[in-house]
Amino acid sequence: MSVAAAVPSLAASTLAVPSPSALPLQFADALFEFLSPSTLAEVFVRGVAEASLYVMIAAGLTLVFGLMGVLNFAHGSLTMLGAYIGGLVLVAVVGQSSGGAARLLAFGVAVVVAFGLLAALGGGVEIGLIRPIYDRPPLYQILLTFGLTLVLDEIARILVLFYGLQPSTVWQDVLGTKPQFLAASIGVGGVSASGLELFQIAFGVLTVVGVHLFLTRTRYGLFVRAGGEDSEMLSALGVDVRRVFTVVFALGTGIAGAAGVLLAWDPSWGASVPLAAETLLPAFVVVIVGGLGTFRGTIVAAVIVGMVDSSMTWWFQNFIDFTGLPEMVVFLVLVITLIVKPQGLYGVSEVGGH
Amino acid sequence: MYSVLVNSGLSAEFVALLPRIETLVVVLFFGLFAMSFDFISGYTGYLSFGHAAFYGTGAYLVVLAANGKIPMLGPETPFMLLIVLAGLAAAVVALAIGSVSFRLSGVYFAMITLGFSQVLYVFVRDWDFVSSAPRDGVAVTGSLDGFRIGVPGVDGLSVAIGQLTGDTIEGLFGFIDLSPTEVSFYAIGAVVLVCYFALQRLVHSPFGRTLIAIRENEERARAVGYNTYAYKLAAFVVSGFFAGVAGALFAGFRRSVTPENGFYFLVAGDALLASIIGGFGTIAGPLFGHLFDETVREFLSKEGGGGGLLPYLRANVGDATLATELYNGLTVAEAIDTFLNGHAALYVGLVFVLFVLYVPNGLLGTARDRMGGTLAKAVPRHVRRWLNE
Repeated sequence: MSVAAAVPSLAASTLAVPSPSALPLQFADALFEFLSPSTLAEVFVRGVAEASLYVMIAAGLTLVFGLMGVLNFAHGSLTMLGAYIGGLVLVAVVGQSSGGAARLLAFGVAVVVAFGLLAALGGGVEIGLIRPIYDRPPLYQILLTFGLTLVLDEIARILVLFYGLQPSTVWQDVLGTKPQFLAASIGVGGVSASGLELFQIAFGVLTVVGVHLFLTRTRYGLFVRAGGEDSEMLSALGVDVRRVFTVVFALGTGIAGAAGVLLAWDPSWGASVPLAAETLLPAFVVVIVGGLGTFRGTIVAAVIVGMVDSSMTWWFQNFIDFTGLPEMVVFLVLVITLIVKPQGLYGVSEVGGH
Repeated sequence: MYSVLVNSGLSAEFVALLPRIETLVVVLFFGLFAMSFDFISGYTGYLSFGHAAFYGTGAYLVVLAANGKIPMLGPETPFMLLIVLAGLAAAVVALAIGSVSFRLSGVYFAMITLGFSQVLYVFVRDWDFVSSAPRDGVAVTGSLDGFRIGVPGVDGLSVAIGQLTGDTIEGLFGFIDLSPTEVSFYAIGAVVLVCYFALQRLVHSPFGRTLIAIRENEERARAVGYNTYAYKLAAFVVSGFFAGVAGALFAGFRRSVTPENGFYFLVAGDALLASIIGGFGTIAGPLFGHLFDETVREFLSKEGGGGGLLPYLRANVGDATLATELYNGLTVAEAIDTFLNGHAALYVGLVFVLFVLYVPNGLLGTARDRMGGTLAKAVPRHVRRWLNE
């Protein structure tokens, strides 16, 4: 700390180092350890798990933007609502039964319920609020959804406070304890990964495959891809574009809700009202880095951000004493990507009229 | 004025309705920040979602300088100099961010500015040089004197500002007595007024007209021969300067700053709210917008500690009504408590959504549309017409 006090420069004050001469040596040690196969593999697995979370919270955002050109600022709040709804369902269902398989089943029920409720909410929001302002500049859609965020967050805060959700022991018990096989860590050849990480990866892959199948194999997916190109032409061909918009918006918010349930189960996230802003920002980073409105870009960007996040978390825990390191580097990824590739990795200019 | 109304017959109603002087000081400096936000976003059409970076830079510079943490700027540096330096520091940050960001447009521009400001936010939040607990922010610890606003070198024209530490004035012109907060109100108001006139001058200059041309049709502005990049960047730097000044005033009044109220992106969100409610693309609009915003907030939430609807209802609604059961054991008293206790953001959000849907031009913009011209020109015209009839 004496170094930090004497030289108030960025490098010296953010690194808690005993003496300047030992710094390169320690760095070499840390780098060596980081590059060892087992560490790399662990960081990789955690990175993929993070990536699945990011893809979950960003997929809905990118679908909605790709088709309608609406950047949904309320997406984080919808994820947060999903977390609470999922938590409530888990509390209600797990209260009846216990045991690993039953808990997993309860989780499935929670995902379905959160998906359904939020899809309904999203559909309603699209019809009631966003539809009247499609013909205005995109700025107004951003503003409207931003206002919606304030309202949803505050409603959630009122309800949580009024019913005393979080302090109740049932809530904490149910969300705190995972089924045995998820809490245990699985080791293969010196590499250990927690069951929860593998579960998240499976869930993320399932979502990616599901959305991909929806986009490529269903009629609505066809409309979505065509509408992203030219929605006027689509309506001229006799497709009810307004209904497509509503369905896609509902789908996008539904995915946000499912992601929320997953986050509610993850001990490092959990359900809370600030979760809205905490997930909105990474979701934006992923969507923008990938290129707005491209699903492929979103997946690639989620993997990049997940990897950066997990490796920076390792560096923070082992070498660099700067708490905000992973978060800051994630935003740096956003800034650097936009400087190098102004439209994101896979983005095309003029998507959705921007 | 306030005291006259409060001491009148309808005092309880006025206390409930009118914002307190503390709130009005906040309206002034935050209104300036909202104006600077509107200057770039309302006049060029580029949504700067990371505007909090400049506000925070100004605020942190003042607090750190007052704590003697900035080399060559001792704790004794005059506040008027600090205000200018805070503006310049923010302008430099704006130049750096803007020179990169203006290669982008639309949503991408909003996002890259958001990205830069969040990098700064996380950095300040975790940088232990700022204070031993940077997450909790920094307070002025060095001296207990207020920061002085006035004409440099002329002692008689400077007064100290601050929530608790400012000057009081007694017996000015024989009958005016001002509390420390009221002194701060007028002193900060003077700075904000100067900044407002400067921004107003800029908007009505050829420079400001070019910005509007860029907002309306950037390609055409470029085709006419304007270097739009340079114009946008210059506007961004100017906007950053005034945002920094607003941040400096904020830090001078509050004597402390946290990452959450300085650098967090929702601070820029509040400025956005003020601009939309007041009128996008009008310089004075954001000030009215923020006044409206704060008034609604204070009226509907008891957080302010002063007046508001909640204490008014508690005091004036009969006990029988309060105990009435509404729904499933929820009494009126509980309902009032649940929905009015510190949840003003809900109503502000609703008002905001309604404004976006039905009053897209904001308060001032709509008033201008109705009157047919800026208020300064239209109001005298209408008054004259009435008088002649």
